[in-house]
Amino acid sequence: MRLADKLDGKKVLVTGVTGFVGEALLHRIIGDLPGTTVVAIIRPKGSLKGTDRMAQLLKKDIFKPFYGEGTPYADAEALSAARVEVVEGDLADVPELPTDLDIVVHCAGDVSFDPPIHEAFTTNVLGTKSLLERIDESRQGTDRRIHYVHISTAYTAGRRRGAIPEAPVDHSVDWRTEAEAGMAMKARIEGMSRSAPMLAKFRKDSEKLHRRAGHLTAAADTERRRTEWVAKKLIETGTERARSLGWTDCYTFTKALGERVVEEFASKLPTSIVRPAIIESAVQSPHPGWIEGFKMAEPLILAYGRGELPEFPASPDSVVEIIPVDHVVGAICAVMATEPELSKPEYYHVSSGARNPLTFEQLYAGVRAYFSKHPFDLGERGAVRLPVWKFPGGDSVENLLRHGERAHKIADTIITHIPRGERTRKYARELDVQKRRLDFLRRYMDLYAEYAQAELQFIDDNVLALHNALEGEDRDTFWCDTSIVDWQHYLQEVHCPSVTDSLRRLDVVRKKRNKALAESAGTLKKVTPSDDAEVIAAFDMDGTLLSSNVIETYLWMRLPELDSHQRAGEIGAMLRKLPKLISAERKDRGTFLRTIYRRYEGADLEELNQIVDEVLAGHVLERLSGAAVRRIREHRAAGHKTILITGAIRPLTRPLEPLFDEIVAAELAVDDRGRCTGYLTGPPLVGESRAAWIKHRARGTNIDLSKSYAYADSHSDLPMLTTVGNPVAVSPDVSLFRAARAARWQIVDWKTPSTSSRLEIPGVNAR
Amino acid sequence: MARPGFVLEVDDRTPPLLVHNGEGFLLERFPLGTRVVYPPEALPPVRDVEEAIQNALLHPLESEPLPELLRPGMRLTIAFDDISLPLPPMKKPDIRQRIIEAVLTMAADAGVDDVELISANALHRRLTPNELREIVGERVFRSFFPDGKLYNFDAEDTENLTHLGQTRHGEDVEISKRAAESDLLVYVNVNLVAMDGGHKSTSIGLASYKSLKHHHNSHTMIHSRSFMDHKASKMHHSAWRMGEILTQHVKVFQIETTLNNDIFGGPLEFLQKREWEWSIKDQAAMLGAKRGLALAPAKARRKIFQDVRSNYGLTGIHAGSIEPVHEKTIENVHKQHLVEVQGQSDVAIMGVPFVGPYNVNSVMNPILAACMGLGYYFNSYRGNPVVRKDGAVILYHPVDYEFSQLHHPSYVDFFEEVLSESTDPATIEAKFEKQYAEDPWYIHLYRTSYAYHGVHPFYMWYWISHALDHCGDIVWVGANRKTVERMGFRSASTLQDALEMVSHSVGRSPSITYLHNPPHLLADVR
Repeated sequence: MRLADKLDGKKVLVTGVTGFVGEALLHRIIGDLPGTTVVAIIRPKGSLKGTDRMAQLLKKDIFKPFYGEGTPYADAEALSAARVEVVEGDLADVPELPTDLDIVVHCAGDVSFDPPIHEAFTTNVLGTKSLLERIDESRQGTDRRIHYVHISTAYTAGRRRGAIPEAPVDHSVDWRTEAEAGMAMKARIEGMSRSAPMLAKFRKDSEKLHRRAGHLTAAADTERRRTEWVAKKLIETGTERARSLGWTDCYTFTKALGERVVEEFASKLPTSIVRPAIIESAVQSPHPGWIEGFKMAEPLILAYGRGELPEFPASPDSVVEIIPVDHVVGAICAVMATEPELSKPEYYHVSSGARNPLTFEQLYAGVRAYFSKHPFDLGERGAVRLPVWKFPGGDSVENLLRHGERAHKIADTIITHIPRGERTRKYARELDVQKRRLDFLRRYMDLYAEYAQAELQFIDDNVLALHNALEGEDRDTFWCDTSIVDWQHYLQEVHCPSVTDSLRRLDVVRKKRNKALAESAGTLKKVTPSDDAEVIAAFDMDGTLLSSNVIETYLWMRLPELDSHQRAGEIGAMLRKLPKLISAERKDRGTFLRTIYRRYEGADLEELNQIVDEVLAGHVLERLSGAAVRRIREHRAAGHKTILITGAIRPLTRPLEPLFDEIVAAELAVDDRGRCTGYLTGPPLVGESRAAWIKHRARGTNIDLSKSYAYADSHSDLPMLTTVGNPVAVSPDVSLFRAARAARWQIVDWKTPSTSSRLEIPGVNAR
Repeated sequence: MARPGFVLEVDDRTPPLLVHNGEGFLLERFPLGTRVVYPPEALPPVRDVEEAIQNALLHPLESEPLPELLRPGMRLTIAFDDISLPLPPMKKPDIRQRIIEAVLTMAADAGVDDVELISANALHRRLTPNELREIVGERVFRSFFPDGKLYNFDAEDTENLTHLGQTRHGEDVEISKRAAESDLLVYVNVNLVAMDGGHKSTSIGLASYKSLKHHHNSHTMIHSRSFMDHKASKMHHSAWRMGEILTQHVKVFQIETTLNNDIFGGPLEFLQKREWEWSIKDQAAMLGAKRGLALAPAKARRKIFQDVRSNYGLTGIHAGSIEPVHEKTIENVHKQHLVEVQGQSDVAIMGVPFVGPYNVNSVMNPILAACMGLGYYFNSYRGNPVVRKDGAVILYHPVDYEFSQLHHPSYVDFFEEVLSESTDPATIEAKFEKQYAEDPWYIHLYRTSYAYHGVHPFYMWYWISHALDHCGDIVWVGANRKTVERMGFRSASTLQDALEMVSHSVGRSPSITYLHNPPHLLADVR
């Protein structure tokens, strides 16, 4: 009897139908099992209901041959109505099931290797349990036989070695205890993260970086750090618990416990457990190379093809248990038609290692051969140099990586402390690329090292028996004997071309985009007048419009009125204070400014104004960047309101007055004789205060901040930049540079004219 | 007696010749047969400057002696050429200081007490107090500057401008109100090259944009052939017409001076000597300068050149009525600068030096470098241009992307916004001039800071319109490719490459003329 006949009239519940295996299974049932109806549990996603998601699924290319001209179904909807029944629901809360089910195929599961522990238990253990309860419930006390096919993984064997039989995994772990403990971890870790010492640590770390920008920015980052820490801890806990009991990771651990749950129900439901190994693209069906999304090997293959995977902690002779998805689906179909007895669950290893092993070295050779023939075209630099792997073993790869990480950390500390500049930003960008690669390596080495060094051999006699039992054409349609696969052909002609295809297309787009970006790099978009709303353009002064800083400008202001002896004293005093000032500046700009401004005590404000007009104006104007002035004027020409927001003292902004509609600067407080007291009339406008000021300014007016502009150079201006729709980072420091790149803001370099000299002090040695 | 200028023909015994190249110089071997035009050597200066000044003031041309023009209660205004003259600046005491002191002494003797001194800077930048002091001297500066009686002319101060009428060509004559309303205007000029002086002094130096735009425009400038020959220059014709109107309203007592070619002294003296006559000392100085400049950081190099002050000997001083005075002046200038050159050539080569009229104490930006080469040096001819129509000009200058944001703010914008759209002077004039001329920010900077007027870069570009029109090819040697390209020119790494590049229009063996200046020369092309 053919499978189609055996399964004729049967109703099959499939979970995880939107997943990789589920989709292939649905395709196979619709195509090759014409008498079988599918019931799919689909979780609503966003605004899409389960039925909508099914409709979307059926519109994919592989389903297109099933409807339209020459088929019994007019369109996807007709096909869906005739063959698929959708049950809205979720494994976390399994809905009531139809009462006429014949077979259940449970494909749904958390496939990531490092899920947070509570999520792994929810889907892989508790979800399975409630599904099974619902199935049992749907029998309504009758003795209706529902064949339960559980899709597990071959790696439930964990860190065992040698031949693994198609039998229950040998362990004595109690899944109830583990599940309870695992689920409790979430609350515990969450609780730990909220303890005072932890919160203090998060806050200190983030303040080191963000204190200058302001408390709220630091607070936002503190909370981000906390949630990140919680997520990381939950993953770590899962992995460690798994390893402590002999599994590679939380995925295989919970999958193994899930099997225990299934086995408990085997007395009520005839049960088959299918354990595929590493599922990869199809050999034949739906079409050669078919794959949905990236699975286990793809990120590594792509990274290797890009030359970014210098080495891998694998044993060259360890077997990589790859299995094409159509073999898995073929086996599942055959299993569906092969109902075991009650209380005698059957196990099936869908794997390749036993009879057609592919060693890691062969896999590497295949991938390398493919990329040698078809290298990635990564732009103007020609083909990538492919790394040569020597398989030095896990430890030395780990060392290599650790050294890389340490070097990166040191370099990063240096880069954030050296003076800013084009070159610094270039290094920062290179470091960030390096960091991404290191993170990638770290992640995949941690995830896969176990698998790449596994010395397991999955016995697949049951599957072979299934295959041999297939009759007639079924042998071609539902083929599940992996020994026929020619691995080199599969790797080089089927799998690699398929997984690289989308990336190659993306590369073309990216290349074009990068070219356009490179051409427009550093040139700002033209500003346009706005008809309906008022637009503001806020500019920071020091470092943005002209290269100067508060200490320098203080010296400019004070030195002209002192004699040479006093000048030397003043400069000496500033130099002595410099280290302290710099560290204050890194911590809190407001305090820093106040410290400097204290030194204005006793100065005559009128005189300061006069010094600026007579001596400093030329100096300030000379150091103005031409591009900056053009930009300000461009805004004015477009009818925008130009605003200068600076922590510098008001007199210093006098030369720039005609350029701005409004100037917000630090106001020196004066006594009744017009002498500066050394205090300000209000707190200096730095960090978040600037953002607050802009928001307040816009409130109740016609100003549209989403169309407005802001220009600044330093990380402390981050809040100001984020308040407007068009932020521009001007010659940014490394922290702002990174933030701007991440947010895809425009970055420009406004240079101070080379004709001006930093060492010239107006009224002292300058002309 | 100083040796006259001459034309050398390069043969195999000719040593490498000196070429000015911005803040530095090169020694270049020119192709055999290249004609090298050397300026005359410095003429002997007058023996007693004070005596010459007295003589000029007391025995003026077609005018009463100065003392007779002075009377108590009168308004006397003394205008003087600004910092753009002479180039490089003069060693102290400046000739203007000596003349002004003499004039002031006579005024004091006559009991004149309403005296004001105006720097005739038109749309040039204001001079800093220090720069004014260098020109008029400490004594005059101290007595006039603090009271606001010594100041820069402000062409945007509409309340202090007077419209004197229009010429018969409909050109507005609008000048400084103080000068227009004075009983006597004494103009103290430094006539370095033939372009300066005459009616150009007052009717351009003290004029507003409204007045200047009648001759400072692309049409007039393209037909000023050349600026160095006021009889053949449309710009000068216009200035002369304005001068007629002006002199109907104001009594002008013109004092013009001419200087000799003694511009490089001390260790740089070799720069004005003929290469084959360099002594051991000159050669050592040359080597030292060359090595030193190569090693010096850019800022130090700039300082070295900005600090160059020239000896200059006075070759003549004439005072009185403008036109007869100017005739004498031109005679003197020609004596010092004129070199006879037989026939035009296919290629002209010029080295642009470190300083031009508009970058004293500042940097020579790309536009100024173009103006210096293609405006001033190209126009240093009488009769015909040195290079034939559609011939090639090869220039030396690094043309770095360097602008002084203090002195030339509108230049940067002109370079970025205007030249990126067009390099054609007429197009630029029609599309952008008004906008730049009336821009309030530039006007603010011109009036309160030390910036050239917003429209000034346009004038620079009009200066070169004659050269753009006349030449087929313009190539810069050793220049920044990007900046040169923006201006519509090309850049070559060596002279050989430059000649290769222009060979399609002038052939493989073109006739070449190299103008060996500074010191200044005026090629009298027959």
